[in-house]
Amino acid sequence: MARDTYLKKVLGDECFGRVQRTRVVMVGAGGIGCELLKDLLLTGYGEIHIVDLDTVTLSNLNRQFLFRKKDIDKSKSLTIAKAVQSFNYFGAKLVPHHGNIMDTNQFPLTWWSQFSYVYNALDNLEARRYVNKMCLFLKKPLMESGTTGFEGQIQPIYPYYSECFDCQAKVTPKTFPVCTIRSTPSLPVHCITWAKEFLFHQLFDESEISSMNNEEQIRNETDDVQEKENLAKEANELIDLRNQIKGLDGSAFIESLVVKIFQADIERLLLIDTLWKSRRKPIPLNFNALSTELQQLLHAKNNIISTDTKVWSVLENLFVLYKSGVALQSRLKSGKESFVSFDKDDDDTLNFVVAAANLRSSIFGIPLMSKFDIKEIAGNIIPAIATTNAIISGFSSLNGTKFFKHDYEQTGSVDFSPIVKESSTVFISIKPNKYITAASLVSPNESCPSSSLLSRGIMNLTNQELQENTLRWLVDELVKKYGYEDGDLSIIVGKSRLVYDVDFDDNIDSSLSELSGFEDGDLVLIQDENDELENLELYITVVNEPTTEKLPNIQLREKKAIKEKNEDEQGDSTIENNTNQDGTTMVIIEDEEDTDLVMIAEPASKKRRIAGEEYM
Amino acid sequence: MSLCKTRLQEERKQWRKDHPFGFFAKPCKAPDGSLDLTQWTAGIPGKAGTLWEDAVYPITISFPEEYPSKPPKVKFPANFYHPNVYPSGTICLSILNEEQDWRPAITLKQIVLGIQELLDTPNPDSPAQEPAWKAFSKDRTMYDKKVKEQAKRYVNAG
Ligand SMILES: [Zn+2]
Repeated sequence: MARDTYLKKVLGDECFGRVQRTRVVMVGAGGIGCELLKDLLLTGYGEIHIVDLDTVTLSNLNRQFLFRKKDIDKSKSLTIAKAVQSFNYFGAKLVPHHGNIMDTNQFPLTWWSQFSYVYNALDNLEARRYVNKMCLFLKKPLMESGTTGFEGQIQPIYPYYSECFDCQAKVTPKTFPVCTIRSTPSLPVHCITWAKEFLFHQLFDESEISSMNNEEQIRNETDDVQEKENLAKEANELIDLRNQIKGLDGSAFIESLVVKIFQADIERLLLIDTLWKSRRKPIPLNFNALSTELQQLLHAKNNIISTDTKVWSVLENLFVLYKSGVALQSRLKSGKESFVSFDKDDDDTLNFVVAAANLRSSIFGIPLMSKFDIKEIAGNIIPAIATTNAIISGFSSLNGTKFFKHDYEQTGSVDFSPIVKESSTVFISIKPNKYITAASLVSPNESCPSSSLLSRGIMNLTNQELQENTLRWLVDELVKKYGYEDGDLSIIVGKSRLVYDVDFDDNIDSSLSELSGFEDGDLVLIQDENDELENLELYITVVNEPTTEKLPNIQLREKKAIKEKNEDEQGDSTIENNTNQDGTTMVIIEDEEDTDLVMIAEPASKKRRIAGEEYM
Repeated sequence: MSLCKTRLQEERKQWRKDHPFGFFAKPCKAPDGSLDLTQWTAGIPGKAGTLWEDAVYPITISFPEEYPSKPPKVKFPANFYHPNVYPSGTICLSILNEEQDWRPAITLKQIVLGIQELLDTPNPDSPAQEPAWKAFSKDRTMYDKKVKEQAKRYVNAG
């Protein structure tokens, strides 16, 4: 049987034909990328470009199955393109690019415009936001995907017709004051930061000075003389202990460590009354009371350390601290390593931090956490699970093919309303209640900075034009072309540098090339200060020959009109959702007794659908 | 990122149209001649009839990339005399604290008015420096004297 028999059956001849003739790009060749490229290749895409700036490292090999030990230090994109050749059954043309996707020299807007579909397989926010923006510029469909441990999601993005990547706010990590970490923790993350950045760092790492022992910062945050003295004393004693590590035997080292940090330091902290006026007082660890039980545990055969997702008891944490502390001590004693740095994949270091963080939490009445959860926080990096990546990649490629059921490429249409109705976002979570959820796509968020009240286009200028034309010329051209009332507009370049508004015309006679922010690939934001016209974002492209259309030929819409239109449309879609509810949200749960997937529709519906129909 | 810059220009526009009497606020000029919308200097006048009157106190306001999800950092000059100002000049005010009362809707105008209010009504429960806090809670005459001395130094500011 021919290899494409099933593909044709599943996709239909027409759709499969389009897939075979098309050119797509996959951005990122890591955890998701390795799975996704396999899927894209076996779906039959004609030409696949692969972009990644990284090289293969040892820690990739446990889940990025297209890489082998011999590939370490080689370019991911070049390696992955070679690795899949053995099953390139449909003869896809693979074009790897080793580089940063945000590099406008290597990947200018014209490069992007050759693709009919963009697959993201990225692991960082900045690059995701950038690709999202390029797709908005060119109105290219984008499949966004991501995983976090046992959870993952895909989001098909049809520019201006469905939510873009920026429509939903993303959570950013918070930073904590040193004194909260050192004296008055109230959250698990405070104790984890203390264990990793202060305790571990001061005891085992290269430099004795950690950011958590920064005198100036401590001085700035607290003027409590007692607290300051206390913090200095704590740190000095720890350094003394560090200096003795090689001389002490294992149990003596651990015992002095535990008694110091979980008993004496806490008792001293309790003496500072001002700290505990409105806080719960910490309760020092009673090492003597636990030592008999600890000895028993040490003599018994115990593999508590390998239970990642269980929350250990205080005694178990003490046991793990003992084991990992002794292991780290002997690594330093052996002389092979002169210091040990924290690495989430180095189990001795992770165990030590997990146990120390939990013991401190127990003292301050803070909930303890599992090793798995602490690893995620301490590593500042999301643990990668191969299974989740594989499932998400499957949904990503499967959902992406829906686009090719339509003839967008031939017609050049960017009216995505039909495809938006057929697509869905998918969320999966394989822990602890196994389920898959799909939801229909939602219209762009009205207050989204990237996709609402904004038009985009390209400004084509030659180098000579950039040198000859002044900012005044640009302002005049913008007013002429788009009709800003009273010329009341502002121009912002780069991240947040204002070059012009009615109250700031210092640069008006400078040429564009004199001002920074008008180079090839730069983005320029124009806003109507009267708030009537929508915002305009220009992508600067340096061309060789002067063009007649320097500014994009678009008509800026009135903000008021867009808002009214959005309100109307929202009214419509609510009604539609109500009448069509049984198809909009689906949940798949794994039956406890039977490992087959059972699908239920939510809310309860009359019709049952099979997975194939819903997700193709 | 995009939200940050549209919002900052909006703050600039609103400030230009309308700002409280006696205050000033403007973005700093970057070396390339543009205005850096993330770095501002501003002046807070002391309220009439208080120890702080007849002076304008300078502050710097830095907006992080995550603004307005995260609050700006606002500072007086180092060693500014006030119970709720850290020795570094950083102002301890709940509306400027991400974990407390900061909300993305808080405007520049509300921030500077909040700081003006704080000048004469310090919060004794969140001491940020020892000299002013001790004097404020134990030796009011000394506190008043120091505040007035400081006011004289900022008479011509702004
Ligand atoms: Zn959006």
